[in-house]
Amino acid sequence: MPVKIALAQLGSCWGCYQSFMDNYEGLLDILPELEIVFWHTVTDFKYKDLESYEDGSIDIGTIEGVCRTEEDLHILKLMRKKCKVLISLGSCSTYGGIYGLLNLYTMDEALKRKFIEAESVAEPAIPDEDVPKMLDFIVPNRKIVEFDAFLPGCPPTKEDIANALVGLLKGELPPPPKRTLCDECPREKSEVITIRQLKRDYEGIPDPDKCLLEQGYICMGPATREGCGALCTSAGVPCRGCYGPGPNVIDQGAKMISALGSIVDYEVISPEELVEKVGDAAGTFYNFFLPSGIISKTVRKAK
Amino acid sequence: MSKEIVIEPATRLEGHAKITIKLGKDNKVEDAHFSVTLTRFFEKFLEGRLMERVVRITPRICGICPEAHHLASISAVEDAWGITPPKPALKLRDLLAQAKQIASHALHFYALAAPDFLVGPLAEPQYRNVVTVIKELPDAGKKALELMRVGQDLCFLIGGKAVHPVTCVPGGQSRPLTEEERDEQLKRIERGLELTNFTVDLAKKVVNDYMDVITKLGVFESYYIGLANEGVHTIYGDATVRIQSPDGKIVEDFPKRDYLNYIAEHVAPHSYATHIFYKKVGYPDGIWRAGPLGRINVVDKMETPLAQEALKEFRDALGRPCHATLAYNWARIIELVQAMEKAKMLLEDPDIVSTDIKLADVEPREGEGIGIVEAPRGLLIHHYWSDEKGICRKANLIVATNHNIATVEKSFLVTAKQIFEEKIHEKLKLPEPMIKT
Repeated sequence: MPVKIALAQLGSCWGCYQSFMDNYEGLLDILPELEIVFWHTVTDFKYKDLESYEDGSIDIGTIEGVCRTEEDLHILKLMRKKCKVLISLGSCSTYGGIYGLLNLYTMDEALKRKFIEAESVAEPAIPDEDVPKMLDFIVPNRKIVEFDAFLPGCPPTKEDIANALVGLLKGELPPPPKRTLCDECPREKSEVITIRQLKRDYEGIPDPDKCLLEQGYICMGPATREGCGALCTSAGVPCRGCYGPGPNVIDQGAKMISALGSIVDYEVISPEELVEKVGDAAGTFYNFFLPSGIISKTVRKAK
Repeated sequence: MSKEIVIEPATRLEGHAKITIKLGKDNKVEDAHFSVTLTRFFEKFLEGRLMERVVRITPRICGICPEAHHLASISAVEDAWGITPPKPALKLRDLLAQAKQIASHALHFYALAAPDFLVGPLAEPQYRNVVTVIKELPDAGKKALELMRVGQDLCFLIGGKAVHPVTCVPGGQSRPLTEEERDEQLKRIERGLELTNFTVDLAKKVVNDYMDVITKLGVFESYYIGLANEGVHTIYGDATVRIQSPDGKIVEDFPKRDYLNYIAEHVAPHSYATHIFYKKVGYPDGIWRAGPLGRINVVDKMETPLAQEALKEFRDALGRPCHATLAYNWARIIELVQAMEKAKMLLEDPDIVSTDIKLADVEPREGEGIGIVEAPRGLLIHHYWSDEKGICRKANLIVATNHNIATVEKSFLVTAKQIFEEKIHEKLKLPEPMIKT
């Protein structure tokens, strides 16, 4: 009996499912085991099909994306009702993700920028017919429904997704992380790191073998969980933290601020210079995590 | 008695949309709406971000074509700061654009479009998808997956990640291509060319089988838009923006930085995606089609030899401009051929393994920057305003799909009229599907 699976997409970019597709020949082993009952980008099932299935009749459901609109919210709740096991796929669904950066602004400001003030808009208006209402803020999906497992990453690697599915077919949930990104990064690091100079990503040409943080580039490695195989640092650029917080860390941004605070040599860089050089604290430390961070609630209260 | 037919969600496309067709008395089609039901407001939350991070945020606009966003984004940042990276870095970026064109066009043809033709447009939804193609035509299915992989693995190698690439940094690229990697990729491209030939043959068969449908269903006149370099088909790098009128004249051929004089957005009350149009003509008369069909119509010729032959065959059969919506699939295959040939040319260029790929001294400055590339689905525009510290103060984006929203909506209206009023589907010659369900 093939296992019934529904793959839902909320406010997202399809990157997680693209990552799943990137298994290519590997799909030939997985697909025959699955009966896809909903996946709107690949199959022609409609919302009414999903609504018509009996509650709890779908073995596995995956959620990509955030609740940006009321329609997303409806689909998320519907999926929870219809699926026995619900998996949060990617960092949008798991933490609120990159679109969560809009929480720094109000919905009115966002609508105004896009539909009224944008330089190329000829006839300003805000769409309000036949479109689902926008929600004011992004909250992580786990605050709305319960999940059985989380597969973060922007996107999760193709291996992560394939392994998780193969495990689920045997009834096993993906294991939690044990280490940080630094533990799997191939770059050489000293026992004790001290930063005497901070650099923006475009400054100079980084040494290809040495720890980027030690070279002064703000790399989110210490605050980020393992899992991706250190793809970005291997490609010569700092980690932006897309896999979310490391083990036993509640707030990824706070963890990174604390890590950075403890390795900067304040005799060379003053705290004011540090803040100035960081330039954008929310984007630097909470790129994928803002709706899950403590700071997001503060911003919301202030508005 | 009027009624509404609602298709929710629209399927086998990336993104969130629904289609509403309004029928009046005697099934007279009164209107067709294509509602894009989601937007994520990148234009707003890019404000306040460091410019070098904007380049790493914007790929999240689209998981199928993040490379195009990464490339348009870096061009806009470097334009704002007045930087020109070393030539080999630009060649690596061109290779990244071609790699994505290969992966995306293969995915679009086999996973999004072909099931209609291979499994048949009347098959039940549980069968009309790429999974059926993989299961029932294992040889074609395997080749499809292998072809997507040729493009996507090259994206991974050049971009550092295939989904959401990271290697474009203001001033150049963060990682060179080694000679061993280049040699390996050249072998893969040879195989890619074989797979492309297979795809061309399959597409030709499908085109011939469905010629009646292609030339009769959803055919309507519109403007077309696309990049060209002196009239030659180009997706990345030096180029101007061409606009072609419905009667085939090239009415504009302007530098990228002037886009605001020619291109404007209409906000439709029923869609979060705006409708893009030709400013001088106005809305809705000035709506156009972008992407494969738009590009194939606006260019005088292709850049590479096999693609040029394919274009000639296309034009002999369908003319220029071709107004047949379903010819998009054929145009896409011509572009797949060119991307594969171009990737090979770039890999054979000695510069591609150069290590001179990044400027050491890069300084932000206050300024405006515009980056325009061809994403697989059409013209992609990123426009940023940087302050003197290199922080993004404002962003204006026109993404590929938006160019096509108004014309997609019009094609629904035209097709709905043909189906509900003329019952054309009962008269069209449909072949036996290759896969029987």
